[in-house]
Amino acid sequence: MIKITDLEKIYRTEDIETVALNKLSFEVKEGEFVAIMGPSGCGKSTLLNILGLLDDPDGGSFVFNNEEIAHYSESKRAQIRKRNIGFVFQSFNLIDELTVFENVELPLIYLNMKASERKEKVEEVLKKMQVMHRRNHYPQQLSGGQQQRVAVARAVVNNPKLILADEPTGNLDSSNGNEVMQLLTDLNEQGTTIIMVTHSEHDARYSHRIIRLLDGQMVLENSLI
Amino acid sequence: MIRNYIKIAWRNLLKNKGYSAINIGGLAVGMAVTMLIGLWIWDELSFDKYHQNYDNIARVMQHQNFNGEIGTQFANPAVLGQQIRDKYGSDFKYVLQSSWNFQHTLAYGEKKLLKAGSFFEPGVTEMLSLKMLKGTRAGLKETNSILLSESVAKAYFGNADPMEKILKIDNKVDVKVTGVYEDLPYNTSFRDLTFIMPWDLYLAQNPWIKEMENPWGSNFTQTFAQVADNADMEKVSAKIKNVKLDVLGPEERRYKPAIFLHPMSKWHLYADFKNGLNIGGRIQYVWLFGIVGLFVLLLACINFMNLSTARSEKRAKEVGVRKAIGSTRGQLITQFFSESFLVVFFAFALSLLLVTLLLPFFNETADKKILLPWLNPVFWLMGISFSIFTGLVAGSYPALYLSSFQPVKVLKGTFRVGRFAALPRKVLVVLQFSVSIILIIGTIVVYQQIQHAKNRPVGYNRESLIYVALNEVIHSKYDALRNELKTRNVIVEMSQSTSPTTEVWNTNGGFDWEGKDPNLGVDFPNNGVSHEYGKVIGWKIKEGRDFSRELASDSLAFIMNESAVKFIGFKNPVGKILRWEGKPYKIIGVIKDMLVESPYKPIRASLFHIEREQGNIIQLKINPNLAPSDALARIENTFKKYDPATSFEFNFVDEAFARKFGDEERVGTLAAVFAVLAIFISCLGLFGLASFVAEQRTKEIGIRKVVGASVFNLWTLLSKDFVALVIIACGIAIPLAWYGMYQWLQKYDYRTDISWWIFAAAILGAMLITILTVSFQAIKAAIANPVKSLRTE
Repeated sequence: MIKITDLEKIYRTEDIETVALNKLSFEVKEGEFVAIMGPSGCGKSTLLNILGLLDDPDGGSFVFNNEEIAHYSESKRAQIRKRNIGFVFQSFNLIDELTVFENVELPLIYLNMKASERKEKVEEVLKKMQVMHRRNHYPQQLSGGQQQRVAVARAVVNNPKLILADEPTGNLDSSNGNEVMQLLTDLNEQGTTIIMVTHSEHDARYSHRIIRLLDGQMVLENSLI
Repeated sequence: MIRNYIKIAWRNLLKNKGYSAINIGGLAVGMAVTMLIGLWIWDELSFDKYHQNYDNIARVMQHQNFNGEIGTQFANPAVLGQQIRDKYGSDFKYVLQSSWNFQHTLAYGEKKLLKAGSFFEPGVTEMLSLKMLKGTRAGLKETNSILLSESVAKAYFGNADPMEKILKIDNKVDVKVTGVYEDLPYNTSFRDLTFIMPWDLYLAQNPWIKEMENPWGSNFTQTFAQVADNADMEKVSAKIKNVKLDVLGPEERRYKPAIFLHPMSKWHLYADFKNGLNIGGRIQYVWLFGIVGLFVLLLACINFMNLSTARSEKRAKEVGVRKAIGSTRGQLITQFFSESFLVVFFAFALSLLLVTLLLPFFNETADKKILLPWLNPVFWLMGISFSIFTGLVAGSYPALYLSSFQPVKVLKGTFRVGRFAALPRKVLVVLQFSVSIILIIGTIVVYQQIQHAKNRPVGYNRESLIYVALNEVIHSKYDALRNELKTRNVIVEMSQSTSPTTEVWNTNGGFDWEGKDPNLGVDFPNNGVSHEYGKVIGWKIKEGRDFSRELASDSLAFIMNESAVKFIGFKNPVGKILRWEGKPYKIIGVIKDMLVESPYKPIRASLFHIEREQGNIIQLKINPNLAPSDALARIENTFKKYDPATSFEFNFVDEAFARKFGDEERVGTLAAVFAVLAIFISCLGLFGLASFVAEQRTKEIGIRKVVGASVFNLWTLLSKDFVALVIIACGIAIPLAWYGMYQWLQKYDYRTDISWWIFAAAILGAMLITILTVSFQAIKAAIANPVKSLRTE
């Protein structure tokens, strides 16, 4: 599903050049659950942003669904993103001005789906995530765990092929964290590919494979299955 | 999608009520000002368009060379119309001679009112496309007929039928009502034409016109024309240039009269002439206020831009999330535009309310009768276009700026606005204050100029001085009336004259003196007065003496002003001879220059001679020991005793003088109102911006307090940036304002200097306003508990 080869990302300021990704190569197959780990500054988030088409690589190849997309324009990337990729963030990143229902509905709006169809889909996913009873609440009215469930609901509502999770349990207590990890595992079992950046060895154990990064390079790859 | 945008926008408005109020309120005020100015400009541009033949109507005017300069005037010989018809008839549909639109007493039974109207040659009703409510446009066929405006007909006859009723004019002649026309709108040049009578009646009432020895020698009537349907106004105007010159004798040819057509489309906005050239007129105010309106709207839009972008950190996360889940930049731009359109929609609704409330005040200030055309689809179309324009201007920068955020940065929480992110906001604040300071300086200079002209020495005493129109009845009993008023001690003195003290109604040529250049055509204001005129108005004799009833020789004597002495070049004028139409007049006195015409123009060389037969005006100096109301009541009674048929109407000379400042005072008041509103809008934006800056720097303020900063230190810290911006704005505004006002003042011959203190006052005012506005937020942030502010991070 994803194949990156010699991927590079360099941040430049006036005085310093920082190599975030240094000719990184790996492959993720459809249906895999991959955890990416490493110390702060190793390039995990940069990698996730490039995989999520939020950022451009400076070099190398990025093939997504057999398509080379490393240097696609922003609008083309937005098209691929909204049809194929769901995001789960550490800080949930729900829009404060929208209700739970509206937050989850948002990706479907960008897909120009009909209102009746949207309602059906959103309600289905909210039930699945067990936050249906909170559908008319605003994010600030929910607990951290509930907010992350909503974020996951939003990430999966358009049935993306790939979910990118950036430290999804980072802001949660262990019980809520476990619940979220279980949700991701369930989604993976239903066929969704998941790539998760995490600091937590515990969370990483939910994945099939751990890729460890250091200074923008892969230093170890553990298969857990 | 749009629903979602609107939903977010609506919730954002509700969530940030203070910010929304500043944004909507500021925009609404800006839009209201622009709308009022728009309505004013619309009214100015549609002046006279009521008349269907607007494009083909013209006033026949003439340029003449007087005193070495080309003067331009409306007044024409009474025979001009006929001459043009005879020579160039095929180029015109109508060429009509008319009297001045003077007030006349119209009596019906016991009801006597003074109304303004004119005598016109046939065709006026068609030319002006009068809407006849009763009778037909052919109603002036009989010599003794009259057409009344609707309001005049109502004033006399109420709901009764006015047709065929007989009115007495000036207690002299009976006329039959043969038609009623719809009142002419306020924004037409003929708005005071409240009745029309036939030209033939005017000639019958003034037989001397037909008996004039030299009918081309006097200019005392008006001429209007409508060119033929397919005629080119400019070409016809050029064609008739010499129509007067060709019939003049060698003496009068020296004035080189050039007849031309001044189209109706230029009467209102392009009425000024200088040395034979049209130099514009009120059109400059249309431009000026148009620019002011756009700037005020721009100020309000800048508020919107500044407050929206200042809140960018708060909106950044939303932008990041939307981009991450698939929104394109274009969709985000659309979203932010939707928000600005929502704000503009509310602001537009509020501005309509403001305009409705302010319109009466605005109409009074601007001397207009503008109505909001609620039912006119064009108004709504323009209103919507205007709102869209405002939404686009106000929303453009925030939409482009906010939609440019990188999701990677904002979602990771590492987003910080860059070092230069506030630069555009600073530029916009500088722009706002530059405009406001220019308006402040402009307003002060306009007021200075008015004050300067008001303080100009007038050369006579306006105190307790009134004037009354002199009719034939009073004329025949003039001495008896004067004696009675003086005997009863109601007045100090009374006089008569051909022109009022504050205007020039007649000028004369045909003067000659020793040493005069034979090729020089001269034309002087020449007021025919009674012997007591100088005593009544209190002119100041500089040399020689005043007129005297005791000296019969004074009937061939002139008193002249200082400017006349200077123009003629006499060293010792008293005793010298000035020939007028060949007759020798002795100069018996020189008076100090009197300000009779425009307070902004040089005083013309003027003459005064004794004239007891042709007086138009009576001046009365009221006894200062009597209460004015008491004196006026007694004067009215005495006038009514001598002329019971005429209603007594009087004017105070000082009020007539004050009317000369009307245009400038209106401009001054409007400029002041716009300046205050511009400052208000700018302050509103500054206030909002200061609150966001204080909010953004909460942590910094907390830390500074912990390490020992005083409230004063923090107040200085938060205020100094804004003060610096205002100083920059002053630097930009002052040269621009100086240049603009210097140019404006050039149109006045008598003008004020632009003093340095005006700029100092503007800088100080702008500074004070800024400090007051910013201080509220700065002090609020500075006195907050630092523990609390640090905890908020």
